[in-house]
Amino acid sequence: MNLNKKLIPALIASALASTAYSSTALANDSAELEELRALVQQLEQKVKVIDRKSELAEEAAAAKKKETPVVKASEKGFGIQSADGQHEIKFRGLLQADGRVFDQGKQITQKAASGASTAGYLDNTEDAHGTALLRRVRPTIEGKVFDKYDFRFTPEFGDGKANVVDAYIDARFDPAFQFKAGKFKPFVGLERLQSGADIKFIERSYVSSILPNRDVGFSLHGDLANDRLSYALGVYNGVVDGGDNTTSSDLNNSKDFAARVFATPFKGQDNPLEGLGFGIAATYGDVTGQVKDTVNGSVTELTTGYKTEGQQTFFQYNGAGVLRSGIGENLTATGGPGASWLVHADGQRYRLAPQAYYYFGPLGIQGEYVRESQAVSVGAQNLAKTTLNNDAWQLGVSYLITGEDASFKGVKPKRNFDLNSGGWGAWELVARYSELNLDDAAFSFGALDSTALNTTLNGKAHYLYADPKASAKSAHTWTVGANWYLNPEVKFALNYSQTSFNGGGGNLSGSPTNTFADLVTQSDVRNREDERVLLARFQIAY
Amino acid sequence: MTKSLLHISLLAALALTPIAQAADISLLNVSYDPTRELYQDYNAAFAKYWKAKTGDNVTVKASHGGSGKQARAIIDGLDADVATLALAYDVDQLHEKGKLIPKDWQKRLGHNSAPYTSTIVFLVRKGNPKKIKDWDDIVKPGVSVITPNPKTSGGARWNYLAAWAYALKNNNNDEAKAKEFVGKLFKNVPVLDTGARGATTTFVERGIGDVLLAWENEAFLAKKELGPDKFEIVVPSVSILAEPTVTVVDKVVDKRKTRAVATAYLEYLYSEEGQEIAAQNYYRPTLDSVAKKYEKSFPKVNLVKVDEVFGGWQKAQKVHFADGGTFDEIYSK
Repeated sequence: MNLNKKLIPALIASALASTAYSSTALANDSAELEELRALVQQLEQKVKVIDRKSELAEEAAAAKKKETPVVKASEKGFGIQSADGQHEIKFRGLLQADGRVFDQGKQITQKAASGASTAGYLDNTEDAHGTALLRRVRPTIEGKVFDKYDFRFTPEFGDGKANVVDAYIDARFDPAFQFKAGKFKPFVGLERLQSGADIKFIERSYVSSILPNRDVGFSLHGDLANDRLSYALGVYNGVVDGGDNTTSSDLNNSKDFAARVFATPFKGQDNPLEGLGFGIAATYGDVTGQVKDTVNGSVTELTTGYKTEGQQTFFQYNGAGVLRSGIGENLTATGGPGASWLVHADGQRYRLAPQAYYYFGPLGIQGEYVRESQAVSVGAQNLAKTTLNNDAWQLGVSYLITGEDASFKGVKPKRNFDLNSGGWGAWELVARYSELNLDDAAFSFGALDSTALNTTLNGKAHYLYADPKASAKSAHTWTVGANWYLNPEVKFALNYSQTSFNGGGGNLSGSPTNTFADLVTQSDVRNREDERVLLARFQIAY
Repeated sequence: MTKSLLHISLLAALALTPIAQAADISLLNVSYDPTRELYQDYNAAFAKYWKAKTGDNVTVKASHGGSGKQARAIIDGLDADVATLALAYDVDQLHEKGKLIPKDWQKRLGHNSAPYTSTIVFLVRKGNPKKIKDWDDIVKPGVSVITPNPKTSGGARWNYLAAWAYALKNNNNDEAKAKEFVGKLFKNVPVLDTGARGATTTFVERGIGDVLLAWENEAFLAKKELGPDKFEIVVPSVSILAEPTVTVVDKVVDKRKTRAVATAYLEYLYSEEGQEIAAQNYYRPTLDSVAKKYEKSFPKVNLVKVDEVFGGWQKAQKVHFADGGTFDEIYSK
């Protein structure tokens, strides 16, 4: 409001009129004129100050308007944020449409017997088949309140599932002291902690087959030394190898403990080693699987199977199903063992996982090793108790040929793919070697000495924990591929993977006899044929 | 055979050099109020320099406002790749309240991360009608003084401390007398803007006040833009060495993957070209060769330092500008 524009001329006119009058009356009284002039100037200043204060108040009001919540829709995603940035909710999503084409490959079958006359099969594998699938379909709601309490809720609708992947709250009391509770990725595996949207390969390596996937529990974690050292300690319900805890409560009274330290000593420095990170993680639990009857089912607390890169199962512990229909005659039909032959966790399980990455310009290297020790026994009477030591490792290399900087997180192309402007996005080449080795003792051949067991097998030697005619002792995989980042959110990926096995195949020639004799013989163990598979993915993650 | 092929493919892939493709990069420089013209010139020069050096296109956006206010905006989530603020205390807040930068940020660049300096002078109307020569003249009754709010403006804090230092010097370091002196000064302030540029607007465009306490660069600029026939610069007998400081905001550059270009952006301020641009915008250069070249452009002033008179910015802030501090006492009277 320019009050002075109206008031000042009036004042001046009034002053001049007054002056004119004065000049007539007191023509030589210049002192009074000066006084009047000063008065006018003083009044003018006062009016100007009032005007300016009014102007500043308007500016302040306009600034306050900016404090209304901000609706965001950009390449960083969609969301709403309070004006002070203290509170925020984001809507995010991950969709991965995959395709797999097998040139060659097998998987373990679960061919059900259907009566005493239908025995099991010697060939307990079948050809892997190519497929198109939705690998991950994950809408996510995440955000923060009071700038300290992060939350995330992510359901999974991909790969034939419908469950909760993540549901947690993470309180950032201090960078060095944060508390996370709910269902989330335990702070253990480096490759597992990398987001499913950011992993360089279409499938994770064997290391992640052994380490836990997601679990329910809580963790104390934080960053120290200017973010150069992170730590995490956690208590969880405990999950099997590669397991995703889909239940809300624990099945046993014991808990798993996890700890991890990870250092990035050169972070923030102008140093070729700036992108170096290394650490070690461990888990410990004392777990006993529950062996129930066939009506109530059983919980072995062991992996349901290790899978190849083509997601074909190449190792399983002996279960009721395998024994019944996989490698021998229909033992259930002959009063067979069922759960009595179940291999289950029976004691301590620990995992140790040294891990490292290195990023330098467009080059990225990630390596991880895991050794697991798992106590197991057979059947409700916990016979043939032993400890199996399995390990796995992987070394992956990536290189952005378009020159972007590689990192543990996603890739931001220098120029997004756009035919009009000539941008080609970011292109990355990747290669990885990964292997998994089962303990030789997992394939022990012996007898279960108990009269309570099935009379047919009692006292007769057979494979106690896993059948090498169905399950491989080790798998070795080479993977090469390319990633095309059209923009930070959209990616095409293509991987070619070749896996060779030690064991895991039976004699497929000749005529399977399907007799009890096949179960109790060590003959006909052969290497499973190599798996050769092409995997493709089209992904959007926002 | 297949394994060999895979090995060869892998080696071939790694041997490939990056395909040259110019990147489009954007940076945000969150700065204080009167640096608009400086960074307008500097950003253009840096973009040219960076293009020639790397082939990448860099666009630097700038945000300006009261220095304290700008620091708070960064802490509250404004994605500043670099902060170029009026004083070290405001940058310190990025570490203390936001953990956005390391504690020792000031050691990362030369001259304690102050690539250029300035000082506080008086801008008066042509003919200096109130005959203002030194600090004593602006505390006299009837003299209207324009300065922004020290709570929000870095420049205002320099103004305040310069006046305080003068009063100490002329009263045998008597703090009580200095407080009384600065109290008188603020009694003469009719309106408080939030930033230095706002105060210049009040004085120059709105025609309020007899004297503007201004950054030296701001005073020179006002004189240049509006003509020497309208304003005069008065250099007081004592003023303060103002050291605006700069830093990369680590958390932001790591998130945005702009550390390299942001660091180069600040380092270039120290180059001969960067220093020339600073000097042309009336900031005192720190590079000797450029400082010598522009020696005659800047008046010689007896400059005191915050560290020497006030024991550093942390202490000065706590005593004078924190809630309940000396300024609150003075201004609420």
